[in-house]
Amino acid sequence: MAVPVSQAYTVAKYVLTQRVKGVRRYPLVLMLEPLFRCNLACAGCGKIQYPDHVLDRRLTPEQCWAAADECGAPMVSIPGGEPLIHPEMPEIVRGLVARKKYVYLCTNALLLERKLDEYTPSQYLTFSIHMDGLKEEHDHAVCRDGVYDVAVRAIRAALKRGHRVTSNTTLFDDARPDRVRAFFDEMMTLGVEGMMLSPGYSYQKAPDQHHFLKRQRTRELFAEILRDRKRKWRFNQSPMFLEFLMGRIDYQCTPWGNPTYNVFGWQRPCYLLQDGYARTFRELMEQTDWDLYGTGRHEKCADCMVHCGYEASAVNDTFGSLAGFARTVRAVLLPNRTSSEPPAPTISPRYDGHQTSRV
Amino acid sequence: MTDTKHHESEGASLQGRLFRPQTSAELAEAVEQAFDYRGDVTLRLGTGAAITGYIFNRGTTGGHAYLEILVEGEASPRQVDYRDIRELVFSGEDTASGKSWDVWVAKKESQRAAEAAQVANEARARGHL
Repeated sequence: MAVPVSQAYTVAKYVLTQRVKGVRRYPLVLMLEPLFRCNLACAGCGKIQYPDHVLDRRLTPEQCWAAADECGAPMVSIPGGEPLIHPEMPEIVRGLVARKKYVYLCTNALLLERKLDEYTPSQYLTFSIHMDGLKEEHDHAVCRDGVYDVAVRAIRAALKRGHRVTSNTTLFDDARPDRVRAFFDEMMTLGVEGMMLSPGYSYQKAPDQHHFLKRQRTRELFAEILRDRKRKWRFNQSPMFLEFLMGRIDYQCTPWGNPTYNVFGWQRPCYLLQDGYARTFRELMEQTDWDLYGTGRHEKCADCMVHCGYEASAVNDTFGSLAGFARTVRAVLLPNRTSSEPPAPTISPRYDGHQTSRV
Repeated sequence: MTDTKHHESEGASLQGRLFRPQTSAELAEAVEQAFDYRGDVTLRLGTGAAITGYIFNRGTTGGHAYLEILVEGEASPRQVDYRDIRELVFSGEDTASGKSWDVWVAKKESQRAAEAAQVANEARARGHL
């Protein structure tokens, strides 16, 4: 695991506290979208297609801090749009760090080198750099030549100043396992703390859905990518989420695990689906019919295996029982075990976002 | 965390269409389409007034269905009861139209390069690059 012990301890303590208190649904990561404006226009991106007057709206620092306080999650991920465009982003980050939130500032890094002076290195702050593969794949994915090279320079600069840096990668159905594995090598050589992975997913009833990953294809792809995992590869995410992506275990979605707050309010039900908005976090949690969402429950969720729904399920599994913890230890110590090894016990279906069954 | 691409439908855009619902079911359907639309919509009300903006939410309160719309230049959204709406016009540009991955890939290399340069120039003009 690439997550520092202090962060792992904080998250473990938080999750166990929620469980001891009997809290059935609790957030793990606040997805804070302070703006939708971006300086890239990646084809197919669903986060930036709004009229200009919406793209020009931004959350204030006070709104961001209030959302973090209201939500209470120990981690805050700041995607967008491109967060570094926001003129008050350094202030927003300072306020979150002061609250001891582990902040993942997700950026395409085009502005990072120029803005690095505005940020103080901290164990609570990580620059999470969007990297969808090696140069050819990444520049293709973001629809602009040269972006990969800029990002690599920015990563080096951020690391040199003592910042925590991770990469975050979305993989689509055209991903080539050999190239992705080479990309992992490259990121490790570059010196990032860890890598984050997620399959791309479209929930729209679009005629071109074939480009996105279906569940079985996702499992095959990730099993191929993550087979014979090299010891030097470090992933900044739950080991059980990687097991899930490889098809070694199955989970139901935990849509409230990564609640999303943006210029419209608290987004129902998750980071990807936009089924409406709540004015308060409490309203989101208490007045959303969560049973409507998740694989097998909602047509738009059918093939989704994205981190924002399933990483929380994986973390809940780890800390939900001794068996879950043992599974996690096994996944960490024996990532390259074969299927001939004895399987973990089947767990009965539950409806609060935890494990449903083994694959 | 990773952002995730999703493709908008490349079917016929609703841009420019006008809906004059005759029943509450037709009205609800038209509002749903407006809610999914990635552009501004103009609502013509029974009072004769018109409101143009981005519809981002809908719900019910006190037994009445309502929508929420962000109007350009206004900080807070307006809430409009369904029962006050007479017409919906998809008046703004459909910002999702033609933006799918496949449409991008199908373009000629020169077209892609020109569009990428335009996006970069626009970002630069705003001071975002």
